[in-house]
Amino acid sequence: MTSAVLKCCPVDVTVNRSLSTGKLHRVELLLQTKLALGTLDVLLSKSFLCARAVGVSNMIAKLAKTCTLRISPDKLNFILSDKLASGGVSMWCELEQENFFSEFQMEGISAANNEIYLELTSENLSRALKTAQNARALKIKLTNKHYPCLTVSIELLSVSSSSRIVTHDIPVKVIPRRLWKDLQEPTVPDSDVSIYLPVLKTMKSVVEKMKNISNHLIIEANLNGELNLKIETELVCVTTHFKDLGNPPLASENASQARNPEQMAEVHIDIRKLLQFLAGQQANPTKAVCNIVNNKIVHFDLLHEDVSLQYFIPALS
Amino acid sequence: MKNEVRRRLLYGGPQRPFYAVKRNSSLGKRRRRGGVKSRSFEKRGQHPGTRGRQAEARLATRLVRAPAMLKCGMGGSQVKVFGKAIQALSRVSDELWLDPSEKGLALRSVNSCRSAYGCVLFSPVFFQQYQWSTSVKMNDNDTISNLNCKLGMKSILPIFKCLNSLERNVESCKIFTRSDKCKVVIQFFCRHGIKRTHNVCFQESQPLQVIFEKSTCSNTLMIQPRVLAEAIVLFTSSQEEVTLAVTPFNVCIKSSNEESMDLTSSVHSEMFVGPDEFDFFQIGVDTEITFCFKELKGMLIFSEATHAPISIHFDFPGKPMALSIDDMLLEANFILATLADEPSRASSPQSLCLSQKRKRSDLIRSNSKAGKNVTSKALEHISRKAAPKRLCPNETLTDISALENCGSPPLKRVSGDVGEVPASSVRRAEEVLASPCLRKTENKMINHRREKTEDSEDRRRQRDEKNPPSYKGFKLQRWYRDFSRVQRALGEFTVCLRLLSQEETSVQERGKSDGGVDETRLAKNG
Repeated sequence: MTSAVLKCCPVDVTVNRSLSTGKLHRVELLLQTKLALGTLDVLLSKSFLCARAVGVSNMIAKLAKTCTLRISPDKLNFILSDKLASGGVSMWCELEQENFFSEFQMEGISAANNEIYLELTSENLSRALKTAQNARALKIKLTNKHYPCLTVSIELLSVSSSSRIVTHDIPVKVIPRRLWKDLQEPTVPDSDVSIYLPVLKTMKSVVEKMKNISNHLIIEANLNGELNLKIETELVCVTTHFKDLGNPPLASENASQARNPEQMAEVHIDIRKLLQFLAGQQANPTKAVCNIVNNKIVHFDLLHEDVSLQYFIPALS
Repeated sequence: MKNEVRRRLLYGGPQRPFYAVKRNSSLGKRRRRGGVKSRSFEKRGQHPGTRGRQAEARLATRLVRAPAMLKCGMGGSQVKVFGKAIQALSRVSDELWLDPSEKGLALRSVNSCRSAYGCVLFSPVFFQQYQWSTSVKMNDNDTISNLNCKLGMKSILPIFKCLNSLERNVESCKIFTRSDKCKVVIQFFCRHGIKRTHNVCFQESQPLQVIFEKSTCSNTLMIQPRVLAEAIVLFTSSQEEVTLAVTPFNVCIKSSNEESMDLTSSVHSEMFVGPDEFDFFQIGVDTEITFCFKELKGMLIFSEATHAPISIHFDFPGKPMALSIDDMLLEANFILATLADEPSRASSPQSLCLSQKRKRSDLIRSNSKAGKNVTSKALEHISRKAAPKRLCPNETLTDISALENCGSPPLKRVSGDVGEVPASSVRRAEEVLASPCLRKTENKMINHRREKTEDSEDRRRQRDEKNPPSYKGFKLQRWYRDFSRVQRALGEFTVCLRLLSQEETSVQERGKSDGGVDETRLAKNG
């Protein structure tokens, strides 16, 4: 199970396409592969879904170079939890498959572990999906052509009646089951302060300019809706204050009573990691919350329509 | 001196040589000698009537070449197309040939491993004004050579960089060059009266041409550039080669799979295009050809500007393929080598069949350098800029007919000569200095310096065509001699005047006292 020998079996798929009606169709499981890793067949039939998928893949490409894609019956996750390589940051991005795919078929390794974990270069996926910006239909399949790959098949509209088919084979690496425990959803820590983030574009431009001065950034926030970004060097000390941001309602009342609203919780982080996070956000999220655990970790929780993204940046040691 | 000049002009007629002679005769004292001179002059057979014709004949033999030249002008919108052509050719190689002919101006480029060739031919109708000429050598063997102009892409590409702003601001553009000048001049006449001039140095080099018959290819496709552009988006810049697989039913453009490549890291992409999308679809042979991606991108850049369909002509793998655009105003051809389909999977594509018209211009140039010292000849061979014709400076005294073509009065010429004599000696000294320097590796700086001196040398050389230096020296000597004679005469005269005035005063003084004794003294002194 762990080191599966991938037999090359032709993938034979015939999908009932009534794309003109745009109705959701139940597709029979027609994939007959003997892959020990599972099967996946998804179809996005509406063009705005394609565009949104493209947006998501672009965002992921900016946030992490190599990431893990976890496929489960009801959702898709992009996970980055390689602590050493990414310098301690971890990412957890979740999307509900119902909101994206008109057809979704998957089969995990076994009934008990009905999940597939794949490791891929996110840039490949985003580039492959770039052609699908105005596609009529987009199909993603897990196949095994000499090596396991994610086959993205895009049907493009063309001026003439015949439609054009573009196929991309993105090589992926299957992650064996013994490593799955490292890739679980991270627990949200008990934060000292929870605060709503300001407009991300403003924050990004501020942090970009601060990066030129120093690598060491201090984020601090309090329960009064104040967020400060500070850098300190021998010569200069720069602080940006964001006021009236608002705080989300806290879970436990004890914590809120005990804590002084004026008191700041702060974390020292590497500014480049924060910048990488902010650079990935194209559009303004629906909801953006920042949780700070004093001197430990900062946790960003964003919601872009129906894609949730969690990003953890640990404190500098 | 000014009076003398005026007097010279008063004589009228064709510019007579030996003004000094004339002046002497006008003074009266040396008339005989001057007269003798002119007579002896005539004795030598330089009859005024024949002087002109002989001059022409002599000029013709001395004139080795009228330089090849190109002069063309285009409007603002054409500048964009021209610039796009240059950008497309920059993908092929780092060098660009400007090749004018009666068919139009051709821009050619070949890459270093001879696997890609690009040629964009602009017909004369494309330009607002188009003039070109070959150089004709009127020697014993009449050879015609074109303007062989090779430009570095690094120098010309930045000129046509921001094409959108060029299109907006430039009203017209003029390009002209001559083969004896070392540079191409590109002038942009922009809005608000701004004129931008770029001087780009070129090397003389024979352009290469590819022998490729498009009509013999069995497969031809004609497609709108937009379709190909969409296909290009699929491929990453890391992928170098693209495979085009054709069957009578569809065409597949895919990234090529090479065994040497790391399969697990790269994305393999394919795009199927149906026959309906092609303007012209003729497949004779089912083939799969693999060619380099970079030049295809270059071609697409150019096609965006022209909005004309691209034709692809190809055959079996190994035979070169052609991408071409045929328009009324221009014709672009990119000929690329394809990977040969051998079992050993040869990694190097077969090279294109190139022809090079070898002209004997270099040999002829080297022959004409008689009379100059050997070091200078060696320098000219090594220098990148082609040296224009040099005349044999050992002109005889009898070539005075050349002087008739001089517009400037001899006084000015002489002053120029005075300036030139030391300069030429300086020049020779520089050449001597430069030759040992060439043995070092710092050739570029020396070339630069030599080019500067050679620039002024060119101008001097053109003047030399009319006034050979040895004859100038002779004239100079005569002038000095005459001048000194005049000076002496004047000196004597002033002395005489001074004495006279002295005598006068003394006479006046004595006049009050004495009488005629002083008259005798005066007579003695006079």
